Amino acid sequence: MVGTNPHGQTAEAAVATASVPILELRGLEKRYGATHALKPADLIFARGEIHAIVGENGAGKSTLIKLLTGVITRTSGEVFWEGQPVALATPHEAIEFGINAVHQEVVLCRHLTVAANMFLGDEDVGFGLLKKRDMTRKAQAILDDLGFQLPAHVLLGDLTIGQQQLIATARASIRGTRFLIFDEPTAYLTRTEAAQLFALIRRLKERGVTIVYISHRLEEVFELSDRVSILRDGTLVGTRVTTETNETELISLMINRSLEQIYHKEFFPAGDVLIETKNLSGPGFRDVSLSVRSGQIVGLYGLIGAGRSEFVMSLFGRQRRTGGSLFWQGKEVDIRSERQAMDLGIALAPESRRDQGLCINLPVGFNLNLPIFPRITMAGLVPFSADRQRADRQIADLQVKTSGRGALVSSLSGGNQQKIVIGKWLNHGAKLFIFDEPTVGVDVGTKAEIYRLLARLLAEGAGIILISSYLPEVYELADELHVFRRGEDIARHAYHAASHEEILSEAIGV
Amino acid sequence: MSTDNKTAAAIQKSSANWLFGLTLIGLLLAMCIVLSLTTKSFLSETNIMNLMRQGSMIAILAVGETFVIITTGIDLSVGAVVGFCTVIAAWLLTHDFSIMTTVIITLGVGVAIGMFHGFGIVQMGLPPFIITLATLTSLRGLGLLITNGATINIVNDTFTEFSRNDFFGLPNLFWMVILVGIPAYIFLHHSRYGRYIFAVGSNMEAARLSGVNVKLTVYLAYTLSSTCAAFVGLLLAARIGVGNAMQADGWELQAIASSVIGGTSLFGAVGSVHGPLIGAFILATINNGANLLNVNSFWQRIITGLLIILIVYFDQLRRRRG
Repeated sequence: MVGTNPHGQTAEAAVATASVPILELRGLEKRYGATHALKPADLIFARGEIHAIVGENGAGKSTLIKLLTGVITRTSGEVFWEGQPVALATPHEAIEFGINAVHQEVVLCRHLTVAANMFLGDEDVGFGLLKKRDMTRKAQAILDDLGFQLPAHVLLGDLTIGQQQLIATARASIRGTRFLIFDEPTAYLTRTEAAQLFALIRRLKERGVTIVYISHRLEEVFELSDRVSILRDGTLVGTRVTTETNETELISLMINRSLEQIYHKEFFPAGDVLIETKNLSGPGFRDVSLSVRSGQIVGLYGLIGAGRSEFVMSLFGRQRRTGGSLFWQGKEVDIRSERQAMDLGIALAPESRRDQGLCINLPVGFNLNLPIFPRITMAGLVPFSADRQRADRQIADLQVKTSGRGALVSSLSGGNQQKIVIGKWLNHGAKLFIFDEPTVGVDVGTKAEIYRLLARLLAEGAGIILISSYLPEVYELADELHVFRRGEDIARHAYHAASHEEILSEAIGV
Repeated sequence: MSTDNKTAAAIQKSSANWLFGLTLIGLLLAMCIVLSLTTKSFLSETNIMNLMRQGSMIAILAVGETFVIITTGIDLSVGAVVGFCTVIAAWLLTHDFSIMTTVIITLGVGVAIGMFHGFGIVQMGLPPFIITLATLTSLRGLGLLITNGATINIVNDTFTEFSRNDFFGLPNLFWMVILVGIPAYIFLHHSRYGRYIFAVGSNMEAARLSGVNVKLTVYLAYTLSSTCAAFVGLLLAARIGVGNAMQADGWELQAIASSVIGGTSLFGAVGSVHGPLIGAFILATINNGANLLNVNSFWQRIITGLLIILIVYFDQLRRRRG
């Protein structure tokens, strides 16, 4: 695969009609240490086309955007802007060429007005003073012209995320942009807002701006784009003319991967029900009814933002439920705090190691023992020996590669950090383990170790909720797979009862 | 429709910000009214003039401090800069430099200190708290070293009389607040770099990606703060007629308190010039009133602390609601 030209014939034909392409990638590649985020990719963007890019989470889409906008530098390969080789080493350089990006999360100043944001870094000044009224009037004229019914003089932070997204787009459109990248722009938009955005995108296209449109929503890809490229596991697997392909083909290209045989799965007889939810609702999810038995892995699959993390956070007492009921080992419970969840026997290894899972600037031993300090404390003090023994045992048990329990967690690799996150809950012990994206940014070897660890927990009679955005992982490991979409649990499948295509279609909502 | 509601709410909120400014003035006026009813001397000309002189110097410091706080920074050194600059000014005057030269050199010292802070934060990557804490203690030490721990008497009547005299019925010191306040207002609210100070405080990454010179903006904020402090150093030297490195002890906290009472958010990106000015005079009025009411001066400190908690708490409630 690597080094071959991944373009389909039809794509080549379409490109031949355009003159010099506005942007061309040859063998563009990005590695982060051992992780191959983007394998050498060849891709041509024609002037004035809308080029969609699709792929699963972690397929390399965001790496590609960051390379194109100069946020990260490439490991190897070449980029040609209008036929000239360019470095694209800094965001500034990308902006100079007219390359801009509108991100899923708005990168603007919430405390400034809409007009101030639109002109930020490029203000109108007369005699050293800002021409505020002029700028507000101009901004308002631009917004009116685009058909956005938004005021230019209010603070950006007072608008909804969707409205802010429209402002970010309008801002990019007035800055001499020639190449505009949209990263999941409709994730937070209402239907009306999305329609306004599409109108703006078509208008930009008419003006000759090249659009790169990244989205999970295939219906949008078919509605908007001229061509579509597919990324899978960091490899650019193909480019199609949109009118010559269909959803089935795109989905099969997105997931047709070489299944690495790392998924260690053992089957255990299902035991008693540990936890059961009935029509549970809360911030970000609603009406979820599921149950977990001991010896069983329940997988939650869905796109990012589908409400899976919010759901488990609520089980763990981090967020209050707003409706429905919750049963722990047959008894109705109301979990109000993390402490209460832990005391019942629930452990959560959260999604973000850095933000939620670890005290990154503290030693390995400290992190491993953090949940059990109350247990090993004697007469108000933490005995040094207990602290040391427990930490050393976990380090040996999990084969954490570290210089010792005194090493800072920040010095460890991603895989070893994840082992610490899991290790601290093994140390604590629990009946129900919740793993939220346990293998993100983890190398293949460690992944396999983590999967074996899950099996060990099951053998000891625990139950597991496994959240993953990587379909093969939940597909191969979960005894029961739930598909989440926009906060709802929309489907449940027994082990291997549905195909990858079906599940992905359910998650995307085709 | 939801857009309309949202817009209406946004407009309402911006007028709420105005109301907050009015509330502060209202609080100040209410205190004045209560004090003029309960004490005989509050409304006397001497007392009012005295109050204005007391509040002026902290007010100027607070304006400079506000620039820094809006960028999510903090400048702990301003009190020490004031003390150090009284020494510089006194030393220059006793060595027969003209007043003009003294003013220029002293302000230059302020600029240099601010640039050094910028250097520490931008180039060396030090947290603002640390670099300004370091200069706080170093400048006090340097001032003591220059004077050998003594006080330099200023024998220059033109210089010292300035701070006692009036102009159009207002103390010269109060005119200095206006002299600093108006350009500061125009700079912060109507110039490009003023806006960049807000942008850096709101979202540094967004500012950088928009082509804003973030480093220069940080340099600018700290330089303005130190220069304001140097200017206050000149005013203080004139007012007390001496140069002494230990003067203006704890003024940095008063400046920060004035700024925060005036609506500046320590999380950055929220603040104004008029807010800290009013804040400084609120603090001055509390101290003045407490003196007139014969409140134990130790109590004054406690009251000031409680007031800060109260005002900032209400301010946060207001923000959360919006």
